[in-house]
Amino acid sequence: MRDSTHAPVWQVVGCSVKGASHIRNGLPNQDAMRWLPDGRSARRSSFAVADGYGSARCCMRPRRGALAVLAATDALTEFADGLRDLPSLSAIKRAAEERLPQEIERRWNAAVDADLADHPLTEAELGRLEERDGARSRERVLTTPRLTDGATLLSALLTDAFLVFLQLGDGDILVVDDDGAVSRPVPGDSRLFGNETTSLAGSDAWRDFRVGFTALAGPPPALVLLSTDGYANSFRDDAGFLQVGADLLSLIRGDGLAVVAAALPTWLAEASEAGSGDDITLVLASRL
Amino acid sequence: MAKRPGGELATRPLHFIWIADASGSMAGDKIHSLNFAIRDAIPHMQKVADENPNAQVLVRALAFSSGAQWTISQPTPIADFKWTDVKAGGVTDMGKALAMVAEQLHIPPMTERALPPVLVLISDGQPTDDFQTGLRALMDQAWGKKAVRIAIAIGDDADKDVLKEFIGNAEMEPLQANNPEALVNYIKWVSTAVLKSASSPASQTSADAGGANVPIPAPPDPNAGPAAPGDVW
Repeated sequence: MRDSTHAPVWQVVGCSVKGASHIRNGLPNQDAMRWLPDGRSARRSSFAVADGYGSARCCMRPRRGALAVLAATDALTEFADGLRDLPSLSAIKRAAEERLPQEIERRWNAAVDADLADHPLTEAELGRLEERDGARSRERVLTTPRLTDGATLLSALLTDAFLVFLQLGDGDILVVDDDGAVSRPVPGDSRLFGNETTSLAGSDAWRDFRVGFTALAGPPPALVLLSTDGYANSFRDDAGFLQVGADLLSLIRGDGLAVVAAALPTWLAEASEAGSGDDITLVLASRL
Repeated sequence: MAKRPGGELATRPLHFIWIADASGSMAGDKIHSLNFAIRDAIPHMQKVADENPNAQVLVRALAFSSGAQWTISQPTPIADFKWTDVKAGGVTDMGKALAMVAEQLHIPPMTERALPPVLVLISDGQPTDDFQTGLRALMDQAWGKKAVRIAIAIGDDADKDVLKEFIGNAEMEPLQANNPEALVNYIKWVSTAVLKSASSPASQTSADAGGANVPIPAPPDPNAGPAAPGDVW
C-alpha cells in the first residue's frame, strides 16, 4: 500500500435535481445518490448514483434509486473492510470483478423484497399499469413483483492503493487527471442505445455490470465523477459533456470545492431545462 | 457565480418521418384524404411539441410510387413545418422508400443522443419492388431498429403482411383505415399520442420493451367522431 503521508484524501460532494420534464408533469425525482463516509474527507470513499427509471412495468416508486445506492455503497464499504484477507492487488481486482456485482444484486433484491413486504403493490398501481400496458403486464408484475421498477447504478470505491468502478446501465463515470484529461474507466456497452438500458431489475443483473479497476502506481486522479444519463444527454455532443470534467477541476482549483458544491443545483437545473429535461444527479470526489 | 461547466447544451432531436404511398391506386379520395389528414394534424403536433420543449421535433416526408422522393427533405422544426400535397400516380416502390429512409437514419447524420425516431408508413397496396431489401436496409441501421414504426393500411387491398413486417412487433397490428374519418383519426393519433410517448420515453430494458421501442398508447376507435360511415375504401 501507498505511504500514508502521500495517500490521497478524498472529499465527496453531490447534487440531484428534479428534471424539467418531471417538474412539468408532476413526477418525482427518481434519481438517488449516497456516499460514505458522509460529510468529511477520508482516505477511502465509496459513493454511488442511481436512476430509478420508469419502465413499461413501472409503478413509479421513487425509493428504488435510494435502495440501489444503499446496496452499492454498503457492499463497497464491506468489501474494502475485508481487504486484509486478500494477498495482492490482482487478488483484489479478481474479487471485485467476481464478488461485487453479485453482492450488490443480492442486497438490492433483499431490499426490494422487504420494501414490497412493507408496501405491497396497490390495486391503484396495478390498475394504472393495466390501463397503460395491458392485462399481460399486470400478470407479469403479479408473478414477479421485483420487476415493478428498475434502477441503473454507477458506483466507485476509492482507496489509497486502487480504484474500483462499477456500472450497470446508462449514465457516466469520468476520471479527470491533474492535467484535466478526462477518461472513462469502464468499458462501453453497445446495448445501451436509444432509451434501452440494462438495470438492476433484469434477471441475473450481476452479469450486466461493467467493472473497472485501476491500481494506483502513479498519481491518483484529481477528480472522479458519477452522473445519471440525464446529464450527458443534455449536451449537444460528447465532447461538450467531457468538458465538464476539465471545467470542474479548474473551478475547484480556482474557487474551492465548497463554492462548486453550492453552485451545482443551479448548473444541473439549467442543464436539464435547456437539455434533456431528465432528472440529473452528479456526485464528484475531489482529491484534496 | 462561476460559468457553468461543460460545452453547449441542447435538447434532444426527435425525427418524425411520414412515408406516404402515392401510387396510382391512391388517386382521388384516398390521396385527398391523406393530404387533408396530415395537414390537419400539424397544429396538434405543434401543440404536443410545445408541451415538451426538451424534445426538438423535426419532421420530413417521403412519397413513393414509381421510385420514391422526399417531398420535404430537410428535417424541419414542427413549428415551421408545412405539408406539401402528394400527387398520386405510378406503382408502389415501398422498398425503395424504406432504403431512402435508412440512408437518413445512418449515424451520422443522426446522432446517438437522439430520441427514437418515429416512422409512419401509409399504404393502400402491395409493394411492386424489392420490399425485403428495403426493409433490411432500414433494420441494418441502429436507429431503424430502435425507431417507433407505425403502419396505416388504407382499404382492404393494402398488404397487411408487409406492413406488419415493417412494424416488427408481434403485439402491434397495422391500423386499418377503411374510410376518410378513420384515416384522419389514426393520423391525428400518431401525431399526438405516439409523438408524446416518443418525445419523453423512459429508459427500459429489453425485457420491458415487449417488442415496442417506446410504450405505445392504445389506438383510437377508427370510426370515432360525429360521422361514422361504413367502409368506403
